[in-house]
Amino acid sequence: MPPRRLEPGYHDGESDSDVDIFDDFGASAKSKGKGKGKAIDRGKKEKGKGTSKEQPYAWEASYTRSWDTVQEDEAGSLQGAVEDLIARGRRRRLLAPAAAIRRTIIRHLILLLDLSSAMMDRDMRPTRFDLMLQYAREFVTEWFDQNPLGQIGVVGMRAGIGERLGEMTGNPQEVLKAISERHKLEPTGEPSLQNAIDMARSSTSHLPTHSSREILIIFGSLTTCDPGNIHETLAECVKDRIRISVVALAAEMKICRELCDKTGGQFGVALNEGHFKDLLFELIPPPAQRATAPNARGGATAPADLMMMGFPTRLPDTSPPSLCVCHSKLKSEGFLCPRCGAKVCDVPTDCDICGLMIVSSPHLARSYHHLFPVKTYQAVTDLDDTPNPSSSCHGCARPFKNAPQQMAGSSGEGMSPLGRYRCPDCHNDFCPECDVFVHDVVHCCPGCGK
Amino acid sequence: MDRASHLSVVVDLSPNHWYLSSTRTQQNARPLSLKSFLSQLLVFLNSHIACKDENTLAVFGALPGRSVMLHSSTNESSGNPFEMADADTYRPFKILDAEVMQTIARHVETLGPSDIKKPVELVGALSKSLCYINRITTASSTQSNEQTAALDPRILILSVSPDQSSSYIPIMNSIFAAQKLKVTIDICKVYGSESVFLQQAAHLTGGSYLHLERADALLQYLTMSFLPPPSIRQLLSVPTQDKIDFRAACFCHKRIVDIGFVCSVCLSIFCQPVPVCSTCRTKFPIKTLQRLNAARPTVATPATTPTVQTALSLPSSNSIKGTNVNGSQSTVQNGSR
Repeated sequence: MPPRRLEPGYHDGESDSDVDIFDDFGASAKSKGKGKGKAIDRGKKEKGKGTSKEQPYAWEASYTRSWDTVQEDEAGSLQGAVEDLIARGRRRRLLAPAAAIRRTIIRHLILLLDLSSAMMDRDMRPTRFDLMLQYAREFVTEWFDQNPLGQIGVVGMRAGIGERLGEMTGNPQEVLKAISERHKLEPTGEPSLQNAIDMARSSTSHLPTHSSREILIIFGSLTTCDPGNIHETLAECVKDRIRISVVALAAEMKICRELCDKTGGQFGVALNEGHFKDLLFELIPPPAQRATAPNARGGATAPADLMMMGFPTRLPDTSPPSLCVCHSKLKSEGFLCPRCGAKVCDVPTDCDICGLMIVSSPHLARSYHHLFPVKTYQAVTDLDDTPNPSSSCHGCARPFKNAPQQMAGSSGEGMSPLGRYRCPDCHNDFCPECDVFVHDVVHCCPGCGK
Repeated sequence: MDRASHLSVVVDLSPNHWYLSSTRTQQNARPLSLKSFLSQLLVFLNSHIACKDENTLAVFGALPGRSVMLHSSTNESSGNPFEMADADTYRPFKILDAEVMQTIARHVETLGPSDIKKPVELVGALSKSLCYINRITTASSTQSNEQTAALDPRILILSVSPDQSSSYIPIMNSIFAAQKLKVTIDICKVYGSESVFLQQAAHLTGGSYLHLERADALLQYLTMSFLPPPSIRQLLSVPTQDKIDFRAACFCHKRIVDIGFVCSVCLSIFCQPVPVCSTCRTKFPIKTLQRLNAARPTVATPATTPTVQTALSLPSSNSIKGTNVNGSQSTVQNGSR
């Protein structure tokens, strides 16, 4: 259990709740050692880690108090600190490749939840278990929002075995239902990584080659109790191109790190509640496929493929009720499979009768922004070469500041002192808020309509 | 109507289509000119700000090749040039009317002959209105002001021009952004054929889509359907759309397809198996092509074929999954072989 390496140039002191909005993009490009919100309540951590007290703690190396790094300006306002956060979000986006990159759009993920007795630890409030369930729910919702064609299955590990909690499905409601009933998931016994991974692996074995196979393990224990050699399981996963990512709640384990490194996943140890969420949500954007990295990424060598998809006919609410094939319930609304005419309740799904993948066109359209991102706006440093600068933001019509503003310290790079960001295509100026909003939410430049 | 609500109106100001709308033809028995449209629109806008004192309003215009903000109730410029003392008019109405009309006039005058042919910048206007809503909602949440925090934003698009297929992706992106912001998008199609994109916009955001049967009665449609905020509209049973086409058009022939072939890299849709993706130049393995070609007879059958026939001509390819075996599936498999 070596202490975690810290990035030397890391600037500390963000409050965790504020950074979430910046995490939607480019997160896959970041390294797994990203320590966010490192300034944590020390006392609380030590209480929770009573079992490993003799170990040197990673955070002791660079312990900074978050409240010291937030600087108030003369008027006592935190405006400067807030702008610093925006600056960091911008810089992070600049790191992400601006050109259209190849991403894994069709994803299959197995969510592997630790349900061992270690999850009852109270170092995260209220317990690790409750927090995990809560974040897992948010994760599933957000994941389906960004990966509408993906599917998630849920496997739990408790009492030494792997337990299938939810079948692989593309319906967020079913996944949420699988992890909603707390009393059915009550943690007990020892976890077994090998058993659980084997179970997850077997449920992904039937998937087509063009889809990604991923396992996300939320692991709270410091032990694993396996029937055989886990390295063989690891070798099988590498062979099957399954990407394993681990979010550990306790400490780094050698085997977890190895699982991630060998399969091309991300590994992270949650330092506190906010950081736990950040680590989870970093795994939401579709991972980039990298042809140049042999056997590193799970989907790197996965061949492109042509898929047959059916676009269903939607039945209106007023149509005569009929039985659906998925739940055998009498319903009037639904979707008809174009090949076999079966009625399913929700799309996207695979038709239960003929196995055709049924999607609706908005589901495809929802993924397009990953493929055609908006170009990064350039920060305008001076207006000398602009003959007729606009007086207000092109997006929200907020008036621009006239005088250049002093940037606080090192945070100024990539930031415009005038608060203007210019689209390289249509040369319109945008305010910092619209810059973030356009790139994170709208994915479409108001100036050039692309 | 307890809570204040925000309304963003996007007005389609395409000169070509307004000309068509104002001419009397066989199909267009009740013409609506831009002038009478604008006067009815202004009455509607006035009634929105009159409904509640805290109601906010923003008006955007989509002109050929550009999009402009015509009016917004928040950034009231001091030293307003339109401000003329008029004892007979409520001042906010006066400002609103004068500002909208003068901004439209200013921009229409600067339109050159080359601009006329360009398609209207509906996407730009829509994304601008989203930026504006984002601005006022984030501002109100940081101020933690109770009155502005309870904003109920919605967008109303008054459209006259037809869909442009090139703007499909940006429009869909804007719709998803609106969904994320919980903004309702209402569509009022004043003139022209049904717009598939805007139908989807209304459906996906829970708004209503209205195709005017009598365009000259615009004001009545506006006040009855679009003046109450969405929360109240559930009680009023505003007309909704039932038939929304969610089928996709293929990228190769723009044909509407039931079963398409989709590139796993870029999600381009084709109506037949192709060896190379025309969008991203990905080559597909020959094995897939053979397998899909074997499965094609089903695709070739028209969409209107009765379901019995399609079930009988089911391909015995490996696309039938063996995992979910149930009673009905085994019979289908047997029947197909």
